[in-house]
Amino acid sequence: MNLIYATLGFIGVYVYVSLVSLLWEGMDRKLVARMQRRMGPPLLQPFYDFLKLVGKESIIPRDASRFFELAPVLTLATSIALLAYTPLGFEPIFGTKGDVIVFVYLITLMGFFRALGAISSGSPYAQIGAQREMVLIASKEVPMMLALFAVLWRLNGLGVSRPFGMGTFYEHNVWELGTPLSVIGTLILLFVFLLWLSSEIEVGYFDVPEAETELAEGPMVEYSGRHLALFELASAIKIFVSASLVVAVFFPWGVSGYLGLTGVTALVAELLFHTLKVFAVLFAGMSLFRAITGRLRINQAVSTFWTRLFPAAIVGALLLVIDTLGVVA
Amino acid sequence: MMLPYLIVVPLLGAFAMPIIGLLGEKAREAWAVVVTAVTLGVAVEVFNTVWRGGILLYTLGGKGPLGNGVSFPVRIVWEVDLVSALFALMVTFVAFVAVLYSTEYMRHDTGLEKYYTLVILLEVGMLGIAITGDLFNFYVFLEIMSIASYALVAFRNDTWEGIEAGIKYMFVGSLASSFVLLGIVLLYGEYGTLTMAYIAKMVAENPTFTAKVALGFLIGGLLFKSGAVPVHMWLADAHPAAPSSISAMLSGLVIKIGGTYALARLAFSVFSLGINVRTMGWVIVLFACATLIAGNAMAVVQTDMKRLFAFSSVGQIGYILLGTGIGLAAYGSDVGNLALAGAIYHTVNHAIIKALLFLVAGAVIHQIGTRNLNELSGIAKRMPVTSFAFLVGAAAIIGLPPMNGFASKWLIYESSALFNPLVAVIAVIGTAFSFAAYIRVLFTFFGRPSERVLTAREPGKAMLVPMLLLVVAIIIMGLFPWYIGDRIMVPAAKTLENTGAYILALTGGA
Repeated sequence: MNLIYATLGFIGVYVYVSLVSLLWEGMDRKLVARMQRRMGPPLLQPFYDFLKLVGKESIIPRDASRFFELAPVLTLATSIALLAYTPLGFEPIFGTKGDVIVFVYLITLMGFFRALGAISSGSPYAQIGAQREMVLIASKEVPMMLALFAVLWRLNGLGVSRPFGMGTFYEHNVWELGTPLSVIGTLILLFVFLLWLSSEIEVGYFDVPEAETELAEGPMVEYSGRHLALFELASAIKIFVSASLVVAVFFPWGVSGYLGLTGVTALVAELLFHTLKVFAVLFAGMSLFRAITGRLRINQAVSTFWTRLFPAAIVGALLLVIDTLGVVA
Repeated sequence: MMLPYLIVVPLLGAFAMPIIGLLGEKAREAWAVVVTAVTLGVAVEVFNTVWRGGILLYTLGGKGPLGNGVSFPVRIVWEVDLVSALFALMVTFVAFVAVLYSTEYMRHDTGLEKYYTLVILLEVGMLGIAITGDLFNFYVFLEIMSIASYALVAFRNDTWEGIEAGIKYMFVGSLASSFVLLGIVLLYGEYGTLTMAYIAKMVAENPTFTAKVALGFLIGGLLFKSGAVPVHMWLADAHPAAPSSISAMLSGLVIKIGGTYALARLAFSVFSLGINVRTMGWVIVLFACATLIAGNAMAVVQTDMKRLFAFSSVGQIGYILLGTGIGLAAYGSDVGNLALAGAIYHTVNHAIIKALLFLVAGAVIHQIGTRNLNELSGIAKRMPVTSFAFLVGAAAIIGLPPMNGFASKWLIYESSALFNPLVAVIAVIGTAFSFAAYIRVLFTFFGRPSERVLTAREPGKAMLVPMLLLVVAIIIMGLFPWYIGDRIMVPAAKTLENTGAYILALTGGA
């Protein structure tokens, strides 16, 4: 019976996140347009795009193998599976101890499947895009994992019911440590996480694999029709999920306690509040970043991760570790 | 008791092969498939018995191992604990799959009655090593296995590389075997018995310097056989040169049964009571770390598909040795138990995965005629099922969660991190190399179809079905990792660690 409820909840979450994440894309486009003194598309534009793509004929290149058609399905399936382990204002539906590794694995796997689909298309543009995607995956996940594991390890010391689980953040959060070192460390990690978020959703500096003007959409160049629609939906969900991670790590505070809500209404209230926070984080990490920065070259993007963000993550993690020694009270 | 049939059936199969072969090609193939299938059935039965009932003791030529009026064993005994039974099951399964695959794969070769005889003899040798409880009997089976595999590596004796690899393998392997024999001779001279469990008792009572020297020879010889790093060079030549069905057995089984299993059996069941296990464990851990890094790193730079898989096998042997080594160095603790369970689990997983990968390589070579990765771009277009099998195998060997490789590697990572973080870092670096190597092959498979690939087709059913069998095994084992781990692998590790029970099964019981 529990499993049935969990499944129903899971489906509900999936529907909700799909709608909200597409809605956010519309808001993002509107916001960026306003920043550039344009009218911009209507708020529901991504929905129209999606429906139109679904209705269009999907063209399969002659050189494509069967995995070309399989990759969008796998990517979307992975993104849906990811929702089961994403903190959405409440503990993940299928969250257990150690599920943070599943989360990192699945979010990486999405990029990998995208690259696989691109490689299978047989187009050299897509292959270059896929190579860039893989290089970027190899660089960007390292500082994020270091930061995430450092925070989880630190919270683990406070006593949590499921160590290294995504639910940890709703039991304790990094700010409540309160010591100067931990606050500085957390701020550094927040910076790392925000840049990771931008690279995960490939905007601004890190719009490297898709690189519209340079590589003609990179990995997506051969995709059309409903296959492209699946990819669009998957990447919209991924945007929401990535931002949810940042929100859960750094801003996990809920509202239901203040409003005195319990049960299902509390869950709904938390979900809505979480969505608001996600939008706020995305506004900083996506819309603003996208409007004010241009693309880096691939070597610059990679070296940003290894020479700036990775050291920053090390410093932040070390500060959190040194803080446990109680040197600076 | 089905245990004797584990040897009787394939031995009969092998010796009857030249006669059955007179009936024609079809009869020969059918006989080989039937024999290996029956052996698989026997192994399932034996495994089931041991899993439910504990250690199984069988004395050749008598009711009990002890002689008339004396209190020491005089006969050859087979002593099958959970680890042996598990590995016997693994051997028979992979051998069955490989023989089924051979029926189509080897069709263009001549001298096939010799081929099937040798394959089944190879199986006999490996099964014998798994079940025997007698040191000299172990040596005999080791040689049966080794000689069959020398002959099979050089089976295509009209190719230069088959002969070259065969000679290299034979010279190195014979030297290693003679080390093993020398170790056994020293032990016999010192203690006057050849029964493993009884030697274990004697070593525990009186650990002499000779015993340590013998152990050194045995470890040296068996590291050769398992392809650990300073002595892995034969493997990278032998596996590419052999027919792919044989590579699958060599890489999946021979280096494990004749190498790591024998090592673990001797270390735990014979020497662990008398010799400092910590030292022995650290020696193995050092070799394991070197093997991990060198094997996986060498895999990244290969352009020959089968050489890449062969070096990857070296790297995976590193994980198994690491688990065994930590199991020894942390003997008796939870960490050691976990590591040993991981090693046993990884042995079984890797046998299945690497068999699959070599069968895929065989299908590619069979259909396209090259194993140079630079020419193989875009196979996925023309051979989607084979490419899918490769995708599953590659994901499993890297250790991605829905596949079986995840749980076993996880056990090894976890225990090595608890044992010594530096060792865990080395293990993770090894996996990173392995990931790089397989991603490269994967991207080659999925790229733009090259000229050579355009006319390729999928192989026939007799080659696809074995591959899909292994894929199914990988996925099913991957879906119930902790169930298998808790029900089979951890108890198996416990029985291997429990030397007392191993000795008692010989002297006290039966």
